[in-house]
Amino acid sequence: MKLKKYFALTRAGILESFQFRLAMLVMVAGNLLYLTVVYFLWKAIYASSGTDVVNGMTFSDTLIYLVLATALFNFMEMYAVWEIGRSIQSGKIVLDLLKPMPFRSYLFWSYSGTFVTQFFATFLPTFIIVCVVTGGAVPLGINLLYFVISVVMAVIINYSIDFMTGTICIYTESIWGINIMKQVIVLLLSGATIPIAFFPEPLKKAVSYMPFQSIYNTPLSILLNGSPKAETVLSALGVQAFWCIVLLIISNLFWKFSLRKITVNGG
Amino acid sequence: MSNIIEIKNVTKEFKVLNRREGLKGSLKDLFSRDYKTIRAVDNISMTIAQGEIVGYLGPNGAGKSTTIKMMTGVLEPTFGQITVNGNLPYKDRTRNAQEIGVVFGQRSQLWWSLPLIESFKLLKDIYQIPDEGYSSMIKLYKSLVDIEPLLHKPVRQMSLGQRTLSDILAAFLHNPKIVFLDEPTIGLDVSMKNKIRTLIHALNKEKNTTVILTTHDMGDVDALCQRIVIIDKGKMLYDNDIEHLKGFFGSYRTLKIRPDGDIKDHSDAMKNELAGRSVSVTSDDEWISILVNEDKTKVMDVLNVIQKSREIRDMKLEEISTEEVIRKIYEEGVK
Repeated sequence: MKLKKYFALTRAGILESFQFRLAMLVMVAGNLLYLTVVYFLWKAIYASSGTDVVNGMTFSDTLIYLVLATALFNFMEMYAVWEIGRSIQSGKIVLDLLKPMPFRSYLFWSYSGTFVTQFFATFLPTFIIVCVVTGGAVPLGINLLYFVISVVMAVIINYSIDFMTGTICIYTESIWGINIMKQVIVLLLSGATIPIAFFPEPLKKAVSYMPFQSIYNTPLSILLNGSPKAETVLSALGVQAFWCIVLLIISNLFWKFSLRKITVNGG
Repeated sequence: MSNIIEIKNVTKEFKVLNRREGLKGSLKDLFSRDYKTIRAVDNISMTIAQGEIVGYLGPNGAGKSTTIKMMTGVLEPTFGQITVNGNLPYKDRTRNAQEIGVVFGQRSQLWWSLPLIESFKLLKDIYQIPDEGYSSMIKLYKSLVDIEPLLHKPVRQMSLGQRTLSDILAAFLHNPKIVFLDEPTIGLDVSMKNKIRTLIHALNKEKNTTVILTTHDMGDVDALCQRIVIIDKGKMLYDNDIEHLKGFFGSYRTLKIRPDGDIKDHSDAMKNELAGRSVSVTSDDEWISILVNEDKTKVMDVLNVIQKSREIRDMKLEEISTEEVIRKIYEEGVK
């Protein structure tokens, strides 16, 4: 029963997030506000472009993409950088390090309950609303299965990047700037704020060599593609799998190395 | 009895940047490589047997927490070796964590927004405590303290005392071989302190758990510890029975006097009157304290001398407290 101890943390996370009903409500309201802004912004962009299709995407394509990206963000964002930074600053990290499981797993599974609640509280409703409102613009088929696989890997990649960024806090002992920087980079380069189709060619090329687009762009493209070709899906998932493994290894090594630094030089 | 903790010639050094003053200094610091080495723990050796309660004492910054962090595996010694339960804690932190429990005075390991019982259930799964072990532990807890009202209360609504109590129960829950208590009674009222001491004592007796306790409260030491270890500035000053320590200084008593009139004047006068006897006179705003070595001078004689020349409004006689004992160690050292 090795998994039981991890799922126990998930369960506690779910229980904890139920304690903050109001926070959930505020979050939903905040999202609606953000989506309103997105709606009018892109409406203006399309109006001023003079054509219906910009960079191969119609207005409703773009909107569906961005709404789902926001929903995905709500559910995937772990604030791990905050958590690590704060526990380093407050010294609480000592207690977390003394749990009988690796810190990395402990942190991840402690947060996993929020995945579950956020999935049901924000992603699923948004997804259903988008499906209903657009009347079948989102294809419902085998792509859903690919999407789930892709999201799982996206979560791992996102967490690894967060964990690495959090590890930097060991050296800087400050969180705010680092966290903001990470967030801007990830949200922009992953296609969460602007669809990657809109990027200029050189940037598009550069982004294709980076792990970020695997977090938002890949799962969303898979989801929104109704008649996927096997090789496009497989190559997209393959790239994700590659980044998953690479980032897992790098973030783990970086953490082990840095932890030794604390344990050798003191907190 | 077997030794559960062995510490051999352990030294811990930290590298600290030499900070300069002012804005200009801070700017220079950004590029400075001017490190100095601080010895937080300096060549400490001790062994602790299974089931002991050891009081680990010393002033703030003496190196107590650093030693505890090394024993738990959070810090790695610069020199020397620590084995806890046969493991090297800093190499095998996760495995070691399974066998130890920790309470850090003002920090809680409980889940803040959840009722205590949920934290317990979670710890049960995290530490993979078997069902029988868990229920017998809860039964034991129920026989020792009144936890029923606490179990369903969210931790954030608890008072500091209730929370500390809960944290201690949580630390013992997986029946660890060693529990580290870092200032567990800090900030608590007298009755809660007593409750917590009784609890720690009972759990130690019942489960034969080794307890390492750091505290500034001598009441904790008197109530719980058979053996005390004192460190200061990273160096070990003392490691022996508490009885031995008391025996060493045991013939001292403090006579406290409140005379009519100005305390300072009387105190100066008394110093003259009592010159030649083995006493030392100190005073504060309320009392004149006379530390008497009863091997050489009788308290009654002292009292006789000083009441001849003044009215005594109030007096009391105090056994020397462990705190004073430690202060004396700092001043004179153990010969």
